[in-house]
Amino acid sequence: MDTKNLLEIRNLNVDFKTPRGRVHALREVSFNAPKGKIVGIVGESGSGKSTVIWAMTQLLAGNGVVECGEIFFNGKNVLDFSEDELRAFRGEEASIVFQDPMTSQIPVLSYSQQMSDIAYRQRNKSFREKIEHSKQIMRKVGIPDTEQRVYQYPHQFSGGMRQRAGIAMALLMNPLMLIGDEPTTALDVTMEAQIIHLLRSLQEELKSTVMIVSHNLGLVAELCDEVVVMYAGEVVEQGDIRQIFHNAKHPYTQALLECDPARVSNRARFLPTIPGDLPDLHIRPNGCVFAPRCKYALQRCEQDRPETYVIEGTHNTKCHLLDSSRDQFGTSSTIERQVSKTETYDSSLKNIIDFEKPPILNVENLNVRFEIMGPLQALLKRNGKRFVDAVLNVSLHLRQGETLGLVGESGSGKTTLGRAILGLVPSSRGSVEFDGRLLTDLSESVLRNLRQDMAMMFQDPIGSLSPRKTVGALIAEPFSLHNKEKKNLEEEARRLCDMVNLPHSFLNRYPHELSGGQARRVGVARALALEPKLIIADEPTAGLDVSVQGEVLNLMRDLQARRKLSYLIVTHNLPVVRHICDRLAIMYLGRIVEQGNGEMIFQKPAHPYTEALVHGVPQPDPDKRRNLVSIEGEVPSLTNRPSGCEFHNRCKYVQEKCKTLMPQEKVLPDNRTVQCHFPLIN
Amino acid sequence: MIPGDPVSIALGPRATPEIQAAYAAKMHLDKPLIYQFLIFMGNVLQGDLGADVFSDRSVTTTMAEQLPFTVTLAVSAIGWAALVGIPLGCLSALKPNTWLDRFTGVLSVGTIAIPSFLVSIWAILLFSVTLRWMPVIGAGESGNILDQVHHLILPAFAVGLGWVGYLARMVRASMLEVMGENYIRSARAFGLRSRTIIFRYALKVAILPTITLIGIGFGSLLSGAVFAEIIFSRPGIGKLIYDMVLSRNFPVIQGAVLVTVGLYVFVTLIADLVVSWLDPRVRDSL
Repeated sequence: MDTKNLLEIRNLNVDFKTPRGRVHALREVSFNAPKGKIVGIVGESGSGKSTVIWAMTQLLAGNGVVECGEIFFNGKNVLDFSEDELRAFRGEEASIVFQDPMTSQIPVLSYSQQMSDIAYRQRNKSFREKIEHSKQIMRKVGIPDTEQRVYQYPHQFSGGMRQRAGIAMALLMNPLMLIGDEPTTALDVTMEAQIIHLLRSLQEELKSTVMIVSHNLGLVAELCDEVVVMYAGEVVEQGDIRQIFHNAKHPYTQALLECDPARVSNRARFLPTIPGDLPDLHIRPNGCVFAPRCKYALQRCEQDRPETYVIEGTHNTKCHLLDSSRDQFGTSSTIERQVSKTETYDSSLKNIIDFEKPPILNVENLNVRFEIMGPLQALLKRNGKRFVDAVLNVSLHLRQGETLGLVGESGSGKTTLGRAILGLVPSSRGSVEFDGRLLTDLSESVLRNLRQDMAMMFQDPIGSLSPRKTVGALIAEPFSLHNKEKKNLEEEARRLCDMVNLPHSFLNRYPHELSGGQARRVGVARALALEPKLIIADEPTAGLDVSVQGEVLNLMRDLQARRKLSYLIVTHNLPVVRHICDRLAIMYLGRIVEQGNGEMIFQKPAHPYTEALVHGVPQPDPDKRRNLVSIEGEVPSLTNRPSGCEFHNRCKYVQEKCKTLMPQEKVLPDNRTVQCHFPLIN
Repeated sequence: MIPGDPVSIALGPRATPEIQAAYAAKMHLDKPLIYQFLIFMGNVLQGDLGADVFSDRSVTTTMAEQLPFTVTLAVSAIGWAALVGIPLGCLSALKPNTWLDRFTGVLSVGTIAIPSFLVSIWAILLFSVTLRWMPVIGAGESGNILDQVHHLILPAFAVGLGWVGYLARMVRASMLEVMGENYIRSARAFGLRSRTIIFRYALKVAILPTITLIGIGFGSLLSGAVFAEIIFSRPGIGKLIYDMVLSRNFPVIQGAVLVTVGLYVFVTLIADLVVSWLDPRVRDSL
């Protein structure tokens, strides 16, 4: 073992025993983590990237077995550790920052209790000393008021603060290696940027070794020194960050980088995707594991396992194409691949927005107010506020064939606004006009009829499908809900299946048998069933891998072009929004702070908050690292709105006037509206 | 509303219509139902539950005499059931699908399924008649604590046995759920000892629904111990209600039902307060 490596994994194979046989989750995984470096493990879901962590800490699920391999940590093989040695290893030598701080911290113990529990090995320290140490670490990760906050419980922390506390817990025992398992996936962009910044400065200060597991290429490019790319349980390519991002050799790495919407800047193009699905890992692949989806695949790729070819230094990849004994990319023997016809779209995307007709959706001064306390409780709590305003004076319009993106961080009221437009949440003031009819005045029964023309795509694609119904029944469900039984439901289901490029064989499957992308397609088919004019899509790509995300977005755009659909897309994912939206509305604390042409907003944001959001997205390019966090602090609570401009306490251009005076809506020369005293373009 | 005119029950078949009318007027039975109810509630608020039809004793006094027996029985039954059931549930959750887990499973279903009167009779047969270890009837001499405890053992065993099964199943299910949570895996990944993880982390969360169940269980035992009280001829609310229903002594039934319901609500409230004390999330949402 090389002493400059803290971690060396050699030929690691992990199987999971399932009722259907063994799943070969990791196969021949080998990589190193050099001391003092940040190593990123990148892969989509099912790539086995998290399994590496669990195998390394010997915390695999009960049905997981390490078949063979070696994991050397600081010179010792972790797989030979006894139970006691393992316990000392976990937390003290290698410590993990978990993906979801909401579920990975125990809700019934305060941070002081949790942290003193972690420090139980320091017998010579008193409880008070442990708490003092905890406070010190919490200050280091940027948690304010540690004197009080250390005694608080996880639910009293906001998402970003919880993740900071998670980092503090991981650092508590001063580990040799800090492992981040998707450390920012559950957070908003602005929080993500702060956490990336924090991790990087901590690493520089502590000189520790960091391993980041993530599907987020931007995060990896921003943070890591070395990258390991995994696909379906194998390491396909690894090397220095710049080699991987600028000179990727493996077709999968290339395709993955290409798919990232943050890289594709041309809006009129359809997003690239990787056609096909992950292979079934119950069977050990004979050839290259990526061959069935690879566009350069040769005969030999499907038969022989590729070796590891060293490109230069630490950069190596497993791909037959790099075999120097073969003619460089002599593609004479490339397999004629049936690139599924359905994936190719008509690329002549015309602007189909109908400017002649009045807007199909017109929202004026809409307000949504929630009661958070009953009158009695409010009386008992005295000055407690009884109501919160989730949506405040929102006005927007949407033309036929147009796509409007509603963007904001969690808690900005964007989902509530979407629901209020559909009448699923009662609005307290203002009006919603759809297709010439005022929805806010209609009775529930008329509204229900009108909902045929406005469909909703829900955030959680599998959770919003009844688990006991087949896909066919689910797709045809809208017909029976709206008493259109006379139609031939099976035929309708098949027609809709064709429309969303889902093979007919899926009609008899159940939701749990679908992949994320397939479940999304079912969601789209259901939304389209009654030929609506407007579709409100709540986070249409949340939880999807980048290679599948493009597929869903392309489908949505294709359908829009063919059927003149209008979309209202509610999301926090800015790169996605850039590709699909004509106009954007940026929400902050229930208000729309900026609204206008999408491309303009991206190029020259007018509101400081928009600027922070646009610059908050980490770029998948290691040469474009940011040195400053674009936005400090967190979204304030709705019950405690700041005075004046509600963004002033986080705004880096803040002036005296902003603190007291609420800005009026201004119309900029390019027809954008912005709520700011000092818009950034002038 | 209920067959059996309270006046004829109270005065017997030989009372003249005049006496009956006078009695009815005294008991407000000639007034509309809603008025009778309001008078009763008014009296209850002043601590007066009415009087026994036969002996004219205050129902409040009767309740004060009988209630301690039932409460003691309910507390000891639920108490031993919790002491055995909770650890049993924990054990089988920590070693799922082992022989211990299977055995506990069968045992739980068995104890839930056997009616408590059957357990009572078998227990008397075995421990009192054959082995002669335990007394058969009564609640023991008043003032003699040891004797009272001796008399309590069999009824508490019989009443609590079903709850052992309930609690074990409940704890097993919630323990299994909690052990699969992310925060348990994080605790392992921080290298905590399994003792800490099980008792300080998992059990503290898993016990919460069980506490609510214990509260409800205790409440239902206040009136549900009736079989045990009859079979062991123990004084108590259950037996009281049973006897009074047979003799149609309505004021006592009314009082007993009201006290039981009140206690039930009180105990469930206590259980909820305990939960909120243990769970900071609930505490903050109050």
